[in-house]
Amino acid sequence: MNRHLGIRKYRVIYRSVVMESLQYAASIAMGFISFAIIIFVFIQLWNYMYSSPGELIAGYNKAQMIWYVMITETIWFGTPSQVVTRQVAGDIRGGNIAYLMGKPYHYCLYCLAKYTGGWSIQLPMFALSALGLGIVFVGPLPDLSPLALLAAVPVVIAGITIDAVLRLCISMISFWIEDSNPFQWLYSKLLLVVGTLFPVEIFPAALQPLVKFTPVYTVCYGPAKLIVDFSMEKYLEILLAQALYLGAALALMFYLYGKGVRKLYVNGG
Amino acid sequence: MNVIEAENLAKTFRVRQKEKGMKGSLQAILRPRIKEVQAVDGISFSVEAGEMLAFIGPNGAGKSTTIKMLTGILYPDGGRANVLGIDPAKQRKRLAYEIGTVFGQKEQLWTHLTPYDNFRFFGAIYDSPDRETESRIRELADTFELGSFLNTPVRNLSLGQRIRCEIVASLIHRPKVLFLDEPTIGLDPVVKENIRALIKQMNRELGTTIFLTSHDVGDIEKLCRRIIIVNSGRIVLDDSMDHLKHHYLNRKIVEAKLGEETALPAAEGITLLKQKGSQVRFQVDTGRLPINEALHLIDAENLEDINISNIPLETIITDIYKAEGREEKAV
Repeated sequence: MNRHLGIRKYRVIYRSVVMESLQYAASIAMGFISFAIIIFVFIQLWNYMYSSPGELIAGYNKAQMIWYVMITETIWFGTPSQVVTRQVAGDIRGGNIAYLMGKPYHYCLYCLAKYTGGWSIQLPMFALSALGLGIVFVGPLPDLSPLALLAAVPVVIAGITIDAVLRLCISMISFWIEDSNPFQWLYSKLLLVVGTLFPVEIFPAALQPLVKFTPVYTVCYGPAKLIVDFSMEKYLEILLAQALYLGAALALMFYLYGKGVRKLYVNGG
Repeated sequence: MNVIEAENLAKTFRVRQKEKGMKGSLQAILRPRIKEVQAVDGISFSVEAGEMLAFIGPNGAGKSTTIKMLTGILYPDGGRANVLGIDPAKQRKRLAYEIGTVFGQKEQLWTHLTPYDNFRFFGAIYDSPDRETESRIRELADTFELGSFLNTPVRNLSLGQRIRCEIVASLIHRPKVLFLDEPTIGLDPVVKENIRALIKQMNRELGTTIFLTSHDVGDIEKLCRRIIIVNSGRIVLDDSMDHLKHHYLNRKIVEAKLGEETALPAAEGITLLKQKGSQVRFQVDTGRLPINEALHLIDAENLEDINISNIPLETIITDIYKAEGREEKAV
């Protein structure tokens, strides 16, 4: 039996990060300033783009469009990615991974548990802040049903997890090359520019199937789309896409890790 | 019964080389030059259950690489290792439950949590039931005298307190073998003594096998009964501490203060180390010249003070390192 895959230890890792993060609640709150500025800029931008609140752009009315951006930005700001990017790359390059590997847990799952512990404090804080800003400057989301909101929760969690696993895969490149940061930068910009600022429907029809094939669809678009415009058909479609994406990303992560640790170079002394 | 066995264990690292300057940087991209470094070169040894072994050598000798292969962190390129009947390269996770590791230069504790929360954390990581972890924490907190800072965040502890906590964290799951890689680095002499006493007590009471690497001769001398010296990836000495001292302590250092400045007569087995005014310091090879005969070389009437001491273990070890270095060059 693979004892190192038992869920209890990852729950404890998660809990330990939550305990640590709680000590930083004040500094997390400082991040609200830049978040609020960005949200304010986008509210003004879309207010300018829409001539009337009832107008539809790519099937979204003004409130839906602004809430869409606020949801994706909340996920972006609420999920600090250093644990699965810089820290992992640093662990590999600096050899610290060797010491972590010696413990009876799987290093990748350890990182994921730490990452989850980090965002589970930060994301609700940013979500509350976005909710306040949205209600004050845009008003409540029309036709939002609590059931749809509840149904979207696992999609949001799955999206965040897919994002983390993909970032971990990119960090694993550090086993082979000196620096994985340029690849992380490309991936981040893909998500930020293509995923968080506009819904997929805003792209030209010819490009949309391509965008749907990228992580943007499962990480940003899926969760935000289901909250602003829920439909059962879309829900099942996004869940299926997430399941496939998550399965493939996890398989790639374990494969890269398995290959990478055999190449591990750790300074002696 | 052997708990650690290494047989022709070898590890080679491929290190990228770069010429100096911009031209070298470009060359390194287009035509990378790789140099192979033999970190561990076919070493064989075994360690018995309950033994306290010092595994030492100069920087870059292959000590830590060997530990990393024995704990499953690095895959050997050649030979085989066996720890508690487990092949570390093939069953690293299974082995992790049976061994503990303390790397003096690497923290394993979560600095924002208290030692108590850390120990609970490590108990869970090693699948130890909560009740057992609790009783283990009480037992180890008592042994290692952690009571006064058990609930203080690790980041606020002194280095000595932190190292004690690091060792306790490694013992929560009752490991049979403990690998200590420079556990007393950076500690003051009093704390070092304290840590050594605790390690000794742990070995005595729990029967834990200790595999120690350290540059601190005090650690080696006070803790270990056996010593393995490695240099350039090879074992250059594997001996008991008593035997080592017996073999190498046939040299005495004599420091004498004379009434009047007098030259020391030349004799076989005597090496003058220093003479300044009426103070003289010389080494006696007692294998060639018995100490009583050496002392006859000094005029007793002229002698004001005398001190005879053994060669420090540190000097012996340094000589062994250097001798090996010379042999390497000769080859």
